[in-house]
Amino acid sequence: MSFAPDDRLVLARGVRVRFDPVRNCHVLLAPERVLFPCPTSVEILGRLGEPRSFGALVAELAAEFDAPAEEIGRDLEALLSDLVAQRVVRVERRAA
Amino acid sequence: MSALAPAPWREPPIGLLAELTHRCPLGCPYCSNPLELVARERELSTAQWLRVLEEAAELGVLQLHLSGGEPTLRSDLEEIVARARALELYSNLITAGVGVSERRLEALARAGLDHVQLSVQDVDPEGCDRIGGFTGSLARKIAFARAVRRLGLPLTVNAVVHRHNLDRLERFVELALELDADRLEVAHVQYYGWALLNRAALMPTRAQLDRSVEIVKRARERYGDRLLIDFVVPDYYATHPKPCTSGWGRAVIVVAPDGRALPCHAAHTIPGLVFANVKDAPLRWIWQESPAFQRFRGFDWMKEPCRSCPRREIDFGGCRCQAMQLLGDPEATDPACALSPHHARITALAEAEAAAAPPPFRYRRLEPVPA
Ligand code: SF4
Ligand code: SF4
Repeated sequence: MSFAPDDRLVLARGVRVRFDPVRNCHVLLAPERVLFPCPTSVEILGRLGEPRSFGALVAELAAEFDAPAEEIGRDLEALLSDLVAQRVVRVERRAA
Repeated sequence: MSALAPAPWREPPIGLLAELTHRCPLGCPYCSNPLELVARERELSTAQWLRVLEEAAELGVLQLHLSGGEPTLRSDLEEIVARARALELYSNLITAGVGVSERRLEALARAGLDHVQLSVQDVDPEGCDRIGGFTGSLARKIAFARAVRRLGLPLTVNAVVHRHNLDRLERFVELALELDADRLEVAHVQYYGWALLNRAALMPTRAQLDRSVEIVKRARERYGDRLLIDFVVPDYYATHPKPCTSGWGRAVIVVAPDGRALPCHAAHTIPGLVFANVKDAPLRWIWQESPAFQRFRGFDWMKEPCRSCPRREIDFGGCRCQAMQLLGDPEATDPACALSPHHARITALAEAEAAAAPPPFRYRRLEPVPA
Protein backbone atom coordinates (compact mmCIF):
# COMPACT_ATOMS: atom_id res chain seq x y z
CA MET A 1 0.00 0.00 0.00
CA SER A 2 1.26 3.49 -0.75
CA PHE A 3 0.17 6.78 0.75
CA ALA A 4 -0.25 10.24 -0.73
CA PRO A 5 0.95 13.20 1.36
CA ASP A 6 -2.62 14.30 2.08
CA ASP A 7 -3.94 10.84 3.03
CA ARG A 8 -5.06 11.14 6.61
CA LEU A 9 -4.32 8.41 9.12
CA VAL A 10 -6.01 7.75 12.43
CA LEU A 11 -6.38 4.94 14.96
CA ALA A 12 -9.27 2.66 14.02
CA ARG A 13 -12.43 2.95 16.09
CA GLY A 14 -12.14 1.22 19.43
CA VAL A 15 -8.35 0.92 19.40
CA ARG A 16 -6.44 1.88 22.53
CA VAL A 17 -2.69 1.64 23.21
CA ARG A 18 -1.39 1.58 26.76
CA PHE A 19 1.58 0.50 28.79
CA ASP A 20 1.07 -2.70 30.74
CA PRO A 21 3.18 -2.77 33.90
CA VAL A 22 2.51 -6.49 34.46
CA ARG A 23 3.96 -7.56 31.09
CA ASN A 24 6.29 -4.58 31.01
CA CYS A 25 5.43 -3.63 27.43
CA HIS A 26 2.87 -1.70 25.43
CA VAL A 27 -0.35 -3.40 24.49
CA LEU A 28 -2.86 -2.56 21.80
CA LEU A 29 -6.45 -3.18 22.79
CA ALA A 30 -9.27 -3.50 20.27
CA PRO A 31 -12.63 -5.26 20.20
CA GLU A 32 -11.88 -8.93 20.96
CA ARG A 33 -8.20 -8.38 20.20
CA VAL A 34 -5.01 -7.82 22.13
CA LEU A 35 -1.80 -7.16 20.20
CA PHE A 36 1.72 -6.44 21.33
CA PRO A 37 3.08 -3.70 19.04
CA CYS A 38 6.81 -3.21 18.52
CA PRO A 39 8.42 -0.01 19.92
CA THR A 40 8.38 1.67 16.49
CA SER A 41 4.67 0.97 16.07
CA VAL A 42 4.02 2.32 19.56
CA GLU A 43 5.87 5.50 18.57
CA ILE A 44 3.68 5.94 15.48
CA LEU A 45 0.39 4.82 17.00
CA GLY A 46 0.85 7.35 19.78
CA ARG A 47 0.66 10.12 17.18
CA LEU A 48 -2.56 8.93 15.56
CA GLY A 49 -5.13 9.68 18.25
CA GLU A 50 -6.33 12.48 15.96
CA PRO A 51 -6.23 12.20 12.15
CA ARG A 52 -2.82 13.21 10.74
CA SER A 53 -1.75 13.54 7.13
CA PHE A 54 0.94 11.22 5.90
CA GLY A 55 3.00 14.19 4.71
CA ALA A 56 2.90 15.94 8.09
CA LEU A 57 3.84 12.72 9.85
CA VAL A 58 6.86 12.19 7.62
CA ALA A 59 8.02 15.78 8.09
CA GLU A 60 7.58 15.55 11.85
CA LEU A 61 9.53 12.32 12.16
CA ALA A 62 12.27 13.47 9.78
CA ALA A 63 12.82 16.56 11.91
CA GLU A 64 12.64 14.72 15.20
CA PHE A 65 14.99 11.91 14.24
CA ASP A 66 17.14 14.05 12.01
CA ALA A 67 16.83 11.65 9.07
CA PRO A 68 16.15 12.14 5.34
CA ALA A 69 12.41 12.47 4.66
CA GLU A 70 12.64 9.98 1.82
CA GLU A 71 13.99 7.26 4.05
CA ILE A 72 11.46 7.97 6.81
CA GLY A 73 8.68 7.96 4.21
CA ARG A 74 9.68 4.52 2.96
CA ASP A 75 9.87 2.99 6.44
CA LEU A 76 6.67 4.64 7.55
CA GLU A 77 4.82 3.42 4.48
CA ALA A 78 5.81 -0.18 5.18
CA LEU A 79 4.82 0.06 8.82
CA LEU A 80 1.52 1.83 8.16
CA SER A 81 0.57 -0.63 5.42
CA ASP A 82 0.87 -3.37 7.98
CA LEU A 83 -1.14 -1.48 10.60
CA VAL A 84 -3.85 -0.68 8.06
CA ALA A 85 -3.99 -4.30 6.90
CA GLN A 86 -4.44 -5.32 10.52
CA ARG A 87 -7.25 -2.75 10.80
CA VAL A 88 -5.53 -0.97 13.63
CA VAL A 89 -5.14 2.25 11.65
CA ARG A 90 -7.69 3.71 9.27
CA VAL A 91 -6.89 5.78 6.15
CA GLU A 92 -9.09 8.69 5.20
CA ARG A 93 -8.61 9.48 1.53
CA ARG A 94 -9.89 12.49 -0.24
CA ALA A 95 -12.36 11.30 -2.89
CA ALA A 96 -10.56 11.22 -6.27
CA MET B 1 -1.56 -27.91 50.00
CA SER B 2 0.05 -31.06 48.66
CA ALA B 3 3.82 -31.18 48.37
CA LEU B 4 3.30 -32.39 44.82
CA ALA B 5 1.12 -29.50 43.70
CA PRO B 6 2.19 -28.20 40.28
CA ALA B 7 4.16 -24.95 40.17
CA PRO B 8 2.01 -21.80 40.17
CA TRP B 9 1.10 -20.57 36.70
CA ARG B 10 2.99 -17.33 36.04
CA GLU B 11 1.48 -16.25 32.70
CA PRO B 12 -1.08 -13.50 33.28
CA PRO B 13 -4.67 -13.81 32.01
CA ILE B 14 -5.80 -11.60 29.11
CA GLY B 15 -9.49 -11.36 29.75
CA LEU B 16 -12.08 -11.39 32.49
CA LEU B 17 -15.58 -12.47 31.54
CA ALA B 18 -17.77 -10.94 34.22
CA GLU B 19 -21.19 -12.54 34.20
CA LEU B 20 -22.85 -9.80 36.18
CA THR B 21 -26.25 -11.43 36.33
CA HIS B 22 -28.11 -14.38 34.90
CA ARG B 23 -31.29 -12.35 34.64
CA CYS B 24 -32.28 -11.67 31.03
CA PRO B 25 -35.44 -10.51 29.27
CA LEU B 26 -34.72 -12.97 26.47
CA GLY B 27 -34.72 -16.75 26.59
CA CYS B 28 -32.50 -17.89 23.72
CA PRO B 29 -32.51 -21.68 23.45
CA TYR B 30 -28.74 -21.67 22.81
CA CYS B 31 -27.78 -19.52 25.78
CA SER B 32 -24.36 -20.47 27.10
CA ASN B 33 -25.43 -19.98 30.71
CA PRO B 34 -25.70 -23.10 32.86
CA LEU B 35 -29.05 -24.87 33.17
CA GLU B 36 -29.06 -24.01 36.83
CA LEU B 37 -29.03 -20.23 36.87
CA VAL B 38 -28.01 -17.99 39.74
CA ALA B 39 -30.92 -16.08 41.30
CA ARG B 40 -30.68 -12.34 41.93
CA GLU B 41 -30.27 -12.73 45.71
CA ARG B 42 -27.03 -14.60 45.18
CA GLU B 43 -25.41 -12.05 42.85
CA LEU B 44 -22.20 -10.34 43.93
CA SER B 45 -22.59 -6.81 45.30
CA THR B 46 -21.21 -3.70 43.62
CA ALA B 47 -18.32 -3.52 46.08
CA GLN B 48 -17.46 -7.14 45.42
CA TRP B 49 -17.36 -6.63 41.65
CA LEU B 50 -15.23 -3.51 42.00
CA ARG B 51 -12.77 -5.48 44.09
CA VAL B 52 -12.68 -8.28 41.51
CA LEU B 53 -11.86 -5.71 38.82
CA GLU B 54 -9.01 -4.37 40.89
CA GLU B 55 -7.59 -7.81 41.51
CA ALA B 56 -7.96 -8.65 37.83
CA ALA B 57 -6.09 -5.55 36.69
CA GLU B 58 -3.29 -6.27 39.15
CA LEU B 59 -3.05 -9.79 37.83
CA GLY B 60 -2.61 -8.54 34.26
CA VAL B 61 -6.11 -8.74 32.82
CA LEU B 62 -6.41 -6.31 29.89
CA GLN B 63 -9.96 -6.77 28.68
CA LEU B 64 -13.17 -6.88 30.64
CA HIS B 65 -16.22 -8.48 29.05
CA LEU B 66 -19.39 -7.40 30.80
CA SER B 67 -21.81 -10.18 30.16
CA GLY B 68 -24.69 -12.11 31.65
CA GLY B 69 -27.54 -12.77 31.22
CA GLU B 70 -28.24 -9.17 30.44
CA PRO B 71 -25.61 -6.99 32.16
CA THR B 72 -27.60 -3.77 31.76
CA LEU B 73 -30.10 -5.14 34.28
CA ARG B 74 -27.50 -4.29 36.92
CA SER B 75 -28.14 -0.69 37.95
CA ASP B 76 -24.50 -0.38 39.04
CA LEU B 77 -23.14 -1.02 35.53
CA GLU B 78 -22.00 2.60 35.12
CA GLU B 79 -20.00 2.33 38.31
CA ILE B 80 -18.41 -0.91 37.16
CA VAL B 81 -17.52 0.57 33.76
CA ALA B 82 -16.05 3.68 35.38
CA ARG B 83 -13.85 1.55 37.61
CA ALA B 84 -12.72 -0.48 34.60
CA ARG B 85 -11.73 2.72 32.85
CA ALA B 86 -9.87 3.98 35.90
CA LEU B 87 -7.96 0.69 35.94
CA GLU B 88 -7.31 1.00 32.18
CA LEU B 89 -9.23 -2.18 31.46
CA TYR B 90 -10.75 -2.31 27.99
CA SER B 91 -14.48 -2.71 28.59
CA ASN B 92 -16.79 -4.58 26.29
CA LEU B 93 -20.54 -4.63 26.90
CA ILE B 94 -22.23 -7.81 25.67
CA THR B 95 -25.92 -7.07 25.46
CA ALA B 96 -29.19 -8.10 23.84
CA GLY B 97 -30.02 -4.39 23.52
CA VAL B 98 -33.75 -4.60 24.13
CA GLY B 99 -34.25 -2.59 27.32
CA VAL B 100 -31.50 -0.02 27.15
CA SER B 101 -32.48 3.62 26.65
CA GLU B 102 -30.25 6.06 24.82
CA ARG B 103 -29.82 7.96 28.10
CA ARG B 104 -28.49 4.87 29.80
CA LEU B 105 -26.15 4.14 26.92
CA GLU B 106 -24.91 7.71 27.05
CA ALA B 107 -24.15 7.35 30.75
CA LEU B 108 -22.20 4.17 30.01
CA ALA B 109 -20.27 5.89 27.24
CA ARG B 110 -19.48 8.74 29.60
CA ALA B 111 -18.26 6.27 32.20
CA GLY B 112 -15.72 5.12 29.62
CA LEU B 113 -17.20 2.11 27.87
CA ASP B 114 -14.94 1.01 25.00
CA HIS B 115 -17.05 -1.27 22.85
CA VAL B 116 -20.54 -2.72 22.47
CA GLN B 117 -21.40 -6.18 21.25
CA LEU B 118 -25.05 -6.55 20.34
CA SER B 119 -26.68 -9.93 19.82
CA VAL B 120 -29.08 -10.15 16.88
CA GLN B 121 -31.05 -13.39 16.99
CA ASP B 122 -32.42 -13.07 13.46
CA VAL B 123 -32.79 -10.42 10.75
CA ASP B 124 -36.40 -11.43 10.30
CA PRO B 125 -38.56 -9.71 12.98
CA GLU B 126 -40.69 -12.79 13.60
CA GLY B 127 -37.69 -15.08 13.70
CA CYS B 128 -35.95 -12.71 16.09
CA ASP B 129 -38.94 -12.74 18.45
CA ARG B 130 -39.33 -16.49 18.22
CA ILE B 131 -35.69 -17.29 18.99
CA GLY B 132 -35.33 -14.83 21.85
CA GLY B 133 -38.86 -15.35 23.13
CA PHE B 134 -39.39 -11.58 23.26
CA THR B 135 -41.92 -9.56 21.27
CA GLY B 136 -40.77 -6.61 19.17
CA SER B 137 -37.09 -7.37 19.77
CA LEU B 138 -35.56 -6.60 16.36
CA ALA B 139 -36.83 -3.03 16.11
CA ARG B 140 -35.47 -2.33 19.59
CA LYS B 141 -32.12 -3.84 18.72
CA ILE B 142 -31.82 -1.73 15.59
CA ALA B 143 -32.69 1.44 17.49
CA PHE B 144 -30.11 0.49 20.11
CA ALA B 145 -27.43 -0.13 17.48
CA ARG B 146 -28.06 3.28 15.94
CA ALA B 147 -27.72 4.90 19.35
CA VAL B 148 -24.41 3.09 19.85
CA ARG B 149 -23.06 4.51 16.62
CA ARG B 150 -24.52 7.97 17.26
CA LEU B 151 -22.46 8.03 20.44
CA GLY B 152 -19.38 7.11 18.45
CA LEU B 153 -18.89 3.76 20.15
CA PRO B 154 -17.55 0.86 18.11
CA LEU B 155 -20.12 -1.85 17.46
CA THR B 156 -19.99 -5.59 16.92
CA VAL B 157 -23.06 -7.41 15.68
CA ASN B 158 -23.08 -10.89 17.12
CA ALA B 159 -25.06 -13.38 15.05
CA VAL B 160 -25.48 -16.81 16.54
CA VAL B 161 -26.48 -18.97 13.60
CA HIS B 162 -28.31 -22.32 13.38
CA ARG B 163 -30.80 -24.17 11.22
CA HIS B 164 -33.56 -21.57 11.67
CA ASN B 165 -31.70 -18.43 10.59
CA LEU B 166 -28.77 -19.60 8.45
CA ASP B 167 -30.66 -19.16 5.23
CA ARG B 168 -30.73 -15.44 5.94
CA LEU B 169 -27.00 -15.04 6.57
CA GLU B 170 -26.53 -12.64 3.64
CA ARG B 171 -29.04 -10.35 5.27
CA PHE B 172 -27.09 -10.42 8.52
CA VAL B 173 -24.12 -9.07 6.58
CA GLU B 174 -26.31 -6.38 5.00
CA LEU B 175 -27.72 -5.40 8.37
CA ALA B 176 -24.25 -5.11 9.90
CA LEU B 177 -23.18 -2.83 7.04
CA GLU B 178 -26.32 -0.78 7.28
CA LEU B 179 -25.84 -0.30 11.02
CA ASP B 180 -22.26 0.83 10.38
CA ALA B 181 -20.92 -1.96 12.60
CA ASP B 182 -17.17 -2.44 12.85
CA ARG B 183 -17.35 -6.17 13.33
CA LEU B 184 -19.71 -8.99 12.58
CA GLU B 185 -19.38 -12.20 14.52
CA VAL B 186 -20.97 -15.13 12.75
CA ALA B 187 -20.94 -17.86 15.36
CA HIS B 188 -22.43 -21.25 14.77
CA VAL B 189 -24.04 -22.47 17.99
CA GLN B 190 -21.67 -24.15 20.41
CA TYR B 191 -23.46 -26.97 22.14
CA TYR B 192 -23.15 -26.37 25.87
CA GLY B 193 -25.71 -25.57 28.53
CA TRP B 194 -29.06 -24.68 27.00
CA ALA B 195 -27.76 -25.24 23.48
CA LEU B 196 -26.97 -28.86 24.27
CA LEU B 197 -30.49 -29.30 25.57
CA ASN B 198 -31.77 -27.82 22.29
CA ARG B 199 -29.23 -29.39 19.98
CA ALA B 200 -31.70 -31.23 17.76
CA ALA B 201 -33.75 -28.04 17.42
CA LEU B 202 -30.72 -26.02 16.30
CA MET B 203 -28.34 -28.29 14.39
CA PRO B 204 -27.83 -27.12 10.78
CA THR B 205 -27.31 -29.46 7.86
CA ARG B 206 -23.87 -29.84 6.33
CA ALA B 207 -25.20 -28.04 3.24
CA GLN B 208 -26.25 -25.06 5.38
CA LEU B 209 -22.82 -24.98 6.97
CA ASP B 210 -21.03 -25.13 3.61
CA ARG B 211 -23.16 -22.30 2.31
CA SER B 212 -22.37 -20.17 5.34
CA VAL B 213 -18.64 -20.69 4.75
CA GLU B 214 -19.10 -19.46 1.17
CA ILE B 215 -21.16 -16.45 2.20
CA VAL B 216 -18.61 -15.38 4.79
CA LYS B 217 -15.79 -15.79 2.29
CA ARG B 218 -17.53 -13.65 -0.29
CA ALA B 219 -18.53 -11.01 2.25
CA ARG B 220 -14.94 -10.76 3.45
CA GLU B 221 -13.71 -10.25 -0.10
CA ARG B 222 -16.32 -7.64 -0.78
CA TYR B 223 -16.53 -5.70 2.45
CA GLY B 224 -13.28 -6.62 4.16
CA ASP B 225 -12.13 -3.01 4.31
CA ARG B 226 -15.26 -1.88 6.14
CA LEU B 227 -16.35 -4.84 8.18
CA LEU B 228 -14.24 -7.31 10.10
CA ILE B 229 -15.98 -10.69 10.04
CA ASP B 230 -15.20 -13.37 12.60
CA PHE B 231 -16.50 -16.84 11.95
CA VAL B 232 -16.97 -19.77 14.33
CA VAL B 233 -17.77 -23.12 12.69
CA PRO B 234 -19.87 -25.77 14.41
CA ASP B 235 -17.76 -28.34 16.25
CA TYR B 236 -19.73 -31.36 15.15
CA TYR B 237 -18.81 -30.86 11.50
CA ALA B 238 -15.25 -29.65 12.15
CA THR B 239 -11.99 -31.39 11.26
CA HIS B 240 -9.96 -29.86 14.05
CA PRO B 241 -11.38 -28.75 17.36
CA LYS B 242 -11.29 -25.13 18.44
CA PRO B 243 -8.66 -24.09 20.98
CA CYS B 244 -11.41 -23.52 23.48
CA THR B 245 -10.90 -20.27 25.43
CA SER B 246 -7.35 -20.36 23.95
CA GLY B 247 -6.58 -23.27 26.24
CA TRP B 248 -7.78 -24.15 29.74
CA GLY B 249 -6.61 -21.51 32.19
CA ARG B 250 -4.39 -19.77 29.66
CA ALA B 251 -6.22 -16.61 28.69
CA VAL B 252 -9.57 -16.10 30.41
CA ILE B 253 -11.22 -16.12 33.81
CA VAL B 254 -14.99 -16.38 33.96
CA VAL B 255 -16.64 -15.08 37.10
CA ALA B 256 -20.24 -16.23 37.49
CA PRO B 257 -22.91 -13.96 39.03
CA ASP B 258 -22.45 -15.59 42.44
CA GLY B 259 -18.66 -15.15 42.38
CA ARG B 260 -17.53 -18.60 41.36
CA ALA B 261 -14.44 -18.36 39.15
CA LEU B 262 -14.11 -20.79 36.23
CA PRO B 263 -11.68 -21.34 33.35
CA CYS B 264 -14.63 -21.42 30.91
CA HIS B 265 -18.36 -21.00 31.29
CA ALA B 266 -19.10 -24.72 30.94
CA ALA B 267 -16.36 -25.90 33.29
CA HIS B 268 -18.88 -26.68 36.05
CA THR B 269 -20.07 -29.63 33.93
CA ILE B 270 -16.84 -31.49 34.69
CA PRO B 271 -17.37 -33.55 37.83
CA GLY B 272 -14.83 -33.48 40.61
CA LEU B 273 -13.61 -29.92 40.07
CA VAL B 274 -14.06 -27.45 42.89
CA PHE B 275 -14.31 -23.82 41.82
CA ALA B 276 -13.21 -21.21 44.31
CA ASN B 277 -15.34 -18.14 44.87
CA VAL B 278 -13.91 -14.63 44.58
CA LYS B 279 -15.66 -13.88 47.88
CA ASP B 280 -13.39 -16.35 49.70
CA ALA B 281 -10.13 -16.47 47.75
CA PRO B 282 -7.85 -13.94 46.06
CA LEU B 283 -8.15 -13.95 42.27
CA ARG B 284 -4.38 -14.32 41.99
CA TRP B 285 -4.45 -17.60 43.91
CA ILE B 286 -7.46 -18.80 41.91
CA TRP B 287 -5.64 -18.10 38.64
CA GLN B 288 -2.14 -19.24 39.55
CA GLU B 289 -2.69 -22.10 41.95
CA SER B 290 -6.26 -23.29 42.40
CA PRO B 291 -6.55 -26.97 41.43
CA ALA B 292 -9.47 -26.34 39.03
CA PHE B 293 -7.42 -23.88 36.94
CA GLN B 294 -4.31 -26.07 37.09
CA ARG B 295 -6.20 -29.23 36.13
CA PHE B 296 -5.78 -29.11 32.33
CA ARG B 297 -2.79 -26.84 31.95
CA GLY B 298 0.28 -28.16 30.17
CA PHE B 299 0.19 -31.48 28.33
CA ASP B 300 0.73 -34.12 31.01
CA TRP B 301 -2.96 -34.87 31.48
CA MET B 302 -3.41 -35.72 27.79
CA LYS B 303 -4.12 -39.14 26.36
CA GLU B 304 -3.47 -40.36 22.84
CA PRO B 305 -3.91 -39.25 20.11
CA CYS B 306 -3.40 -35.74 21.57
CA ARG B 307 -0.35 -36.57 23.66
CA SER B 308 1.89 -37.19 20.65
CA CYS B 309 0.10 -34.86 18.22
CA PRO B 310 1.96 -31.77 16.94
CA ARG B 311 -1.28 -29.78 16.96
CA ARG B 312 -1.54 -30.02 20.74
CA GLU B 313 0.29 -26.68 20.98
CA ILE B 314 -2.38 -25.11 18.77
CA ASP B 315 -5.65 -26.51 20.05
CA PHE B 316 -4.68 -28.05 23.41
CA GLY B 317 -6.69 -31.14 22.54
CA GLY B 318 -9.88 -29.16 22.08
CA CYS B 319 -12.60 -28.59 24.63
CA ARG B 320 -12.56 -30.46 27.95
CA CYS B 321 -16.23 -29.83 28.56
CA GLN B 322 -17.18 -31.27 25.20
CA ALA B 323 -15.07 -34.38 25.81
CA MET B 324 -16.92 -34.73 29.11
CA GLN B 325 -20.37 -34.13 27.68
CA LEU B 326 -20.07 -36.41 24.68
CA LEU B 327 -17.70 -39.10 25.94
CA GLY B 328 -17.97 -38.88 29.71
CA ASP B 329 -14.19 -38.38 29.94
CA PRO B 330 -12.75 -34.89 30.36
CA GLU B 331 -9.26 -36.09 29.42
CA ALA B 332 -10.28 -37.57 26.08
CA THR B 333 -9.54 -35.96 22.74
CA ASP B 334 -12.37 -33.59 21.89
CA PRO B 335 -14.56 -35.65 19.51
CA ALA B 336 -14.79 -32.58 17.26
CA CYS B 337 -11.30 -33.66 16.14
CA ALA B 338 -11.18 -35.95 13.10
CA LEU B 339 -8.43 -37.92 14.84
CA SER B 340 -10.74 -38.88 17.69
CA PRO B 341 -12.03 -42.46 17.34
CA HIS B 342 -15.51 -41.06 18.14
CA HIS B 343 -15.55 -38.34 15.52
CA ALA B 344 -17.57 -40.22 12.90
CA ARG B 345 -20.26 -41.03 15.44
CA ILE B 346 -20.58 -37.37 16.45
CA THR B 347 -20.83 -36.19 12.87
CA ALA B 348 -23.44 -38.85 12.11
CA LEU B 349 -25.40 -37.70 15.14
CA ALA B 350 -25.38 -34.12 13.87
CA GLU B 351 -26.44 -35.19 10.40
CA ALA B 352 -29.31 -37.28 11.76
CA GLU B 353 -30.55 -34.45 14.00
CA ALA B 354 -30.32 -31.91 11.20
CA ALA B 355 -32.24 -34.20 8.84
CA ALA B 356 -35.14 -34.76 11.24
CA ALA B 357 -37.90 -32.22 11.87
CA PRO B 358 -36.79 -29.77 14.60
CA PRO B 359 -38.34 -30.35 18.04
CA PRO B 360 -39.78 -27.27 19.79
CA PHE B 361 -37.38 -24.93 21.63
CA ARG B 362 -36.84 -25.30 25.34
CA TYR B 363 -36.35 -21.67 26.28
CA ARG B 364 -33.80 -20.59 28.81
CA ARG B 365 -35.54 -19.85 32.09
CA LEU B 366 -34.45 -18.96 35.59
CA GLU B 367 -36.56 -21.77 37.05
CA PRO B 368 -34.83 -25.15 37.00
CA VAL B 369 -35.61 -27.38 34.01
CA PRO B 370 -37.42 -30.62 34.69
CA ALA B 371 -35.20 -33.55 33.72
S1 SF4 C 1 -28.04 -15.78 24.87
FE1 SF4 C 1 -30.09 -14.85 24.88
S2 SF4 C 1 -30.97 -15.58 26.81
FE2 SF4 C 1 -28.76 -15.95 27.00
S3 SF4 C 1 -28.01 -14.12 27.98
FE3 SF4 C 1 -27.82 -13.76 25.77
S4 SF4 C 1 -29.73 -12.71 25.19
FE4 SF4 C 1 -30.06 -13.61 27.22
S1 SF4 D 1 -5.45 -35.22 18.26
FE1 SF4 D 1 -5.69 -33.78 19.94
S2 SF4 D 1 -4.03 -32.30 19.67
FE2 SF4 D 1 -4.18 -33.44 17.72
S3 SF4 D 1 -5.54 -32.17 16.46
FE3 SF4 D 1 -6.86 -33.67 17.52
S4 SF4 D 1 -7.52 -32.59 19.40
FE4 SF4 D 1 -5.77 -31.46 18.57
